[in-house]
Amino acid sequence: MQKTIIHLVVMLFALTLLAAGCAKKPVAEEPSMMEETPQVEIQQQEPVAVVEQQVDDAAAAREAAEAAARRAMGGLVRIHFDFDQYVLTATAKQTLANNAQLLKAAPAVKVQVEGHCDERGSDEYNLALGEKRALATKNYLVSLGVAADRMSVISYGEELPLDAVQSEAAWAKNRRAEFKARR
Amino acid sequence: MKMIKYTWLLFSLWLLLSGSALAVKLEISAPGEQTIPLAIPPLQPMSLVRPEVAAEFQQVLESDLDLSGLFELVNPESFLDDAQRLGLRSSEVDFAQWRLLGAEALIKGGYQIEGEKLTLELRLYDAITRRLLSGRRYIGGLKDVRRIAHTFADQVLHSLTGEKGPFASKIAYISKRTGNKELYLMDVDGHQPLRLTAHQSIVLNPDFSPARKELIFTSYDKGNPDLYRKEIYTGRESRLSMKQGLNIGGRYSPDGREVALTLSKDQNSEIYLIGTDGTIHRRLTNHYGIDVDPSWSPDGHKIAFVSDRRGNPHVFILDVHSLEVVRLTFEGKYNATPAWSPKGDRIAFSRLEGNQFDIYTIRPDGTDERRLTFGAGSKEHPRWSPDGRFLVYSLEQAGKKTIHLMRADGTGSRKISPPGGNDSHPAWSGHW
Amino acid sequence: MESSRKQRWRQLQSVFEPGFSRMLLISLLLHILLPVLYFTPLFPKGEPLKPPVYRVNLVNKPVKNPQAGRPEAVATKKPAPPKPEPKPAPVKPKPLPPKPKPEPPKPEPKPIPKPEPPKPEPKPEPPKPKPAPKPAVKPKPEPKPSVSKAQENALQKRLEQLRKKAEQKQAEEDRKARLEALRVAAAAESQQIESPVKDAPVGMLDGKGDEAGVAAAEFVREYIQQQWSLSQYQISGSPEAEVLLFYSTSGALQHYRFLEKSGSSIFDDSLIRAINKSKQLNQPLPEAMEFHIVFNLKEMMDRR
Repeated sequence: MQKTIIHLVVMLFALTLLAAGCAKKPVAEEPSMMEETPQVEIQQQEPVAVVEQQVDDAAAAREAAEAAARRAMGGLVRIHFDFDQYVLTATAKQTLANNAQLLKAAPAVKVQVEGHCDERGSDEYNLALGEKRALATKNYLVSLGVAADRMSVISYGEELPLDAVQSEAAWAKNRRAEFKARR
Repeated sequence: MKMIKYTWLLFSLWLLLSGSALAVKLEISAPGEQTIPLAIPPLQPMSLVRPEVAAEFQQVLESDLDLSGLFELVNPESFLDDAQRLGLRSSEVDFAQWRLLGAEALIKGGYQIEGEKLTLELRLYDAITRRLLSGRRYIGGLKDVRRIAHTFADQVLHSLTGEKGPFASKIAYISKRTGNKELYLMDVDGHQPLRLTAHQSIVLNPDFSPARKELIFTSYDKGNPDLYRKEIYTGRESRLSMKQGLNIGGRYSPDGREVALTLSKDQNSEIYLIGTDGTIHRRLTNHYGIDVDPSWSPDGHKIAFVSDRRGNPHVFILDVHSLEVVRLTFEGKYNATPAWSPKGDRIAFSRLEGNQFDIYTIRPDGTDERRLTFGAGSKEHPRWSPDGRFLVYSLEQAGKKTIHLMRADGTGSRKISPPGGNDSHPAWSGHW
Repeated sequence: MESSRKQRWRQLQSVFEPGFSRMLLISLLLHILLPVLYFTPLFPKGEPLKPPVYRVNLVNKPVKNPQAGRPEAVATKKPAPPKPEPKPAPVKPKPLPPKPKPEPPKPEPKPIPKPEPPKPEPKPEPPKPKPAPKPAVKPKPEPKPSVSKAQENALQKRLEQLRKKAEQKQAEEDRKARLEALRVAAAAESQQIESPVKDAPVGMLDGKGDEAGVAAAEFVREYIQQQWSLSQYQISGSPEAEVLLFYSTSGALQHYRFLEKSGSSIFDDSLIRAINKSKQLNQPLPEAMEFHIVFNLKEMMDRR
């Protein structure tokens, strides 16, 4: 019995060889592939999802503090920019002159200058542009006599629009530099 | 004697020549069918019958293979009785039936369920030559059906194109569905979305490590846009770069040993190389203009980036060694978010025209620019699949942001992000 | 001003080497020589990218010696006797319900003149109030067995003339009748365009023989091409393979052999499939034939 099987296997092997040897001549099927299927183990590794217990206390507190600070420096007015520009407009300079007076009158207050953009344009580019806006604002205030170390800058790019509507008016509103009290 | 010899020679010469002389020479310069007719009969149960398992597998596999653009599926309604037979070996398959239906490729498979354990045996046949092109047995849990279907789809593409598909990989993205922008991970078809961060701040612009199951991204968590690193399977997270000012647009080098990113520590955005420990290796740009959005060439020698050094934002290419900069895009007034294809042959980017971005590709030498997307909505942030066959991008329309996939030639686009979220900034992992 | 320019010129001249003008001349001559050389047979020219386009229909019998005619014509046994077009004049000038489609081409030309005149068509032939001078009805000789392009053109030209004359004279009376005639003519014409050759003989555009059908080689080419499926997403580059196929008179593939493989197994596999599907042609060949087929993707659409 075993012998016959061995014979058969040998025969088959020979036949395959033969077939392979002259495969191109007759309208031959291509020699068929090995029928054994490789085995693949799927081991699922689970990505770690977040477990969230953090309550929003901290954020709320922060918010409150910020609100207080905002009230304290309610006089500081935000300025606006043209599309894809960080050059201060004449109006902006007037506003900043006013702001400079306020800041000089309250030397203890430290502020963060935030640069913002409208939603048009690429995010990364807008982050850089927002920073340019914040820096231009800060530098102008410094030139008006506000101490540089009282001011820090941050760019939010297009992440925090004042008005999320898609219109020229909203975009104009969103291209801005703002002043926040720094803790 | 000699005579005979010569005749012989002449005769054989004639035979040789006549072989080609008599043949009519023809040229066929395109296939008559530019899709492969493929039949996918439903998986057959090997023991326990669970039709929903077979159905889910079928749906995932068909969707993947449809996206590939390679196939035309043979209508299941025309299937004959071989479709209901479990026989998987080539000797058991009635190829004549499939051939009759016009199928050239055939996927047959069976499933076996023991408790939570799922075994799928799958075979891809050439229905014409009756050759087994690919066969796999997958062993996993019942929940792995989708994953197995994606993995086999990749295998099918490998058999029929010589290159593995990207369907079993992952897409990271930013979603605002909690109200804050957080980092998420999902399958290539948008299933199994999973939130990875809880910063309750602003998370931006992820990128996968080519070497490890790890992501980098920018977050305002600590009040400054810093670059973070997150290990996906351990959840471990750390700040990689926290220079004053921007730490944005981080992109792993193709070897995974460095990260290119934009820093503005000197009051102006420039592109730098940092190590995976966060130390600055080199400064790559030096210009008072804005330099952002680096994207590596697959060989790691060049970086495409966006700069406004010539007035408007355009894409430039930087030689990492010589720091020489060449301008890539000249058309349009606002070009951004370059993404170098993993094959190296094209660079995708988005161009702002009017108030809308559309996606284009261009050769790295600046020739052969092609527009890929049309229609309403702003399409941004193109990123390539690891095999270079597809692009994922975000679409903003009527204030809603969704993530879409398309083939690298712009065809076959489809929405993949799960419904009900503001999703953007996709990044495609390497082969998972 | 002037002098300064001269000065500059002199400056420029001084920069040039003494033999500059001679060099210029030689350079010029060499440049002229280049195109001249190019047009001599010495210069190997690249093959045109696109092969000629053949129009072949598979329902046609492959023959050894195809006659002139149209490959897409439906086979007819005998060209029917030329049937005179029924005079369209009597048709009522009713506002015609716009027929969305012309009559489908009749499979067999009927020996009797068709009872109904060609369907009027909502074709770009609007019922312009253009009066025709004389009963210019006849210009539509019904398509004789073979309507050549030239004849069609002639017809069109005649129509054109008709219209011009119509503008010259303003015979209000038979205006409507003429209009109708024009309309009918237009319909007839458009019908011809859409089903070009009801009665044209089956053959090759460039055929010269005496048999109805298309050249066997063209038939085989088209047949095998139809069996060949390959997606643009499977292949990069421009693979090319050459295969020798031997068919018997009955249209059965006797054997085949790759003269040259493409180097891409995906491409070659697709050819093996196509050849396997072409083992038996659906029509016999005029004789046993051997085909040397070059497979490539020169005409594949949308390739990157």
